[in-house]
Amino acid sequence: MSAPERKGASVAEAGSAPRRAWWTAGAAWLVPGLGHLLLGRRARALLFAVLVFGALAIGVALRGPLLFFEGGFIGKLVTLASMGVGLPYFVLRLSGYHGEALAIGFEYGKAFIATAGLMNLLLVLDAWDIASGRKE
Amino acid sequence: MPSHFLLMVVYALLVSVFFTALWRRERRDQVRLFLQLFLGMVVGGLVVAWLMLPFPPGPPTGGP
Repeated sequence: MSAPERKGASVAEAGSAPRRAWWTAGAAWLVPGLGHLLLGRRARALLFAVLVFGALAIGVALRGPLLFFEGGFIGKLVTLASMGVGLPYFVLRLSGYHGEALAIGFEYGKAFIATAGLMNLLLVLDAWDIASGRKE
Repeated sequence: MPSHFLLMVVYALLVSVFFTALWRRERRDQVRLFLQLFLGMVVGGLVVAWLMLPFPPGPPTGGP
């Protein structure tokens, strides 16, 4: 870990652990990369943000769906995975984007969008672990 | 739309870099895990595709 990242982490570690962990995890879910940024891991935050937003952007470019509990059991699971991406999911939904079922990249897009959400959920857990002191 | 293979490679690249950054800190370990994940997904995908070659490509189109 680089020196600036370590310094930021020590500043961030000044707060109370459980409460800070909740806030950090919430921020990490809301905006991909924000949790690690708040913890002082700037380089990793940038990399994670690029990866999650990149996967989401590719999924949207392929016209993959942003499901909202449509379909059967798998559709509900995909919805939860897609929601993992946080605020961008709701911004896209509210802006009228739903994907195109007839688009040739529909299924690929679905995989990219769901993966973006799942990656962000793992980042939430990672941010929680760092903020609560379980991980450096 | 880009080719299936290109999309698979891009997907494998994104996921491999993500897990490498999440799970490893040392550069040597990062390179090793990245190669394991990336090549595992790409080569594994090609092997599965090859194994599926004997199967028909889609639903039956009806008799003559």
